[in-house]
Amino acid sequence: MRQAGVYSGMVSGGRTGPHLLPLARIKKIMKKSGDNVKMISGEAPIVFSKACELFIEELTRRSWMVAMQGKRRTLHKDDVATAIVATDIFDFLVDLVSSGNSINPLDFSPVEMETVLES
Amino acid sequence: MTVEKNMDDNVIGRAASSINDENFIKEQERLLPIANVGRIMKGILPSNAKISKDSKETMQECVSEFISFVTSEASDKCRKERRKTVNGDDVCWALETLGFDDFAGPIRRYLHRYREIEVDRANQDRVRNIVDDDQREA
Repeated sequence: MRQAGVYSGMVSGGRTGPHLLPLARIKKIMKKSGDNVKMISGEAPIVFSKACELFIEELTRRSWMVAMQGKRRTLHKDDVATAIVATDIFDFLVDLVSSGNSINPLDFSPVEMETVLES
Repeated sequence: MTVEKNMDDNVIGRAASSINDENFIKEQERLLPIANVGRIMKGILPSNAKISKDSKETMQECVSEFISFVTSEASDKCRKERRKTVNGDDVCWALETLGFDDFAGPIRRYLHRYREIEVDRANQDRVRNIVDDDQREA
């Protein structure tokens, strides 16, 4: 997929330009997601490049709120794990962050989680 | 990759490290680059915030999982509808189905802008070709 030239100028210009994330890599990851995935249209990785950006922003924002609650200015892996457990749409990530990890989801009740995120 | 029994340790060592390199590359290919991921994280945080390496690595893993999760949903839909190609609309549909409907608006604007850029670029190419032709005829 072509990416040089026109686009590199736009990326440095900021958020109006496309593709903060490499499309070819996105496409590779898509292909690995299952045997079902055979053909991918040109626009699908582009939709994902924006969706991934928004996903990272949302998860980072929520993780940061957890860090602030703990009066810290450095974002750590546990903050991300806590934010994941506290957010319904991130349920699919719970297993990814809970393997051999210090965070125990049972330590936090849903009410406590909401308090953490609303502060 | 085959390693013959009577090769000396040096060669076996080099072969092993080459396999490790290959595995490392394969590992990296299933993740988005940490620099790009880190840049997006930094962009949303206050200037005094620090981001640990392990949180960036965790984020890399989460994004790949996100892509797989949404792609699976989109490709299931295509399979049920007997279509072979997962397109942008399928991805948008899957995002909404899985609870990421807040993403829909920004994505639509982004796609629109991308298509405008593509049209501009195609037009520039067309104009350039016309000018070339004129100069050749002169």
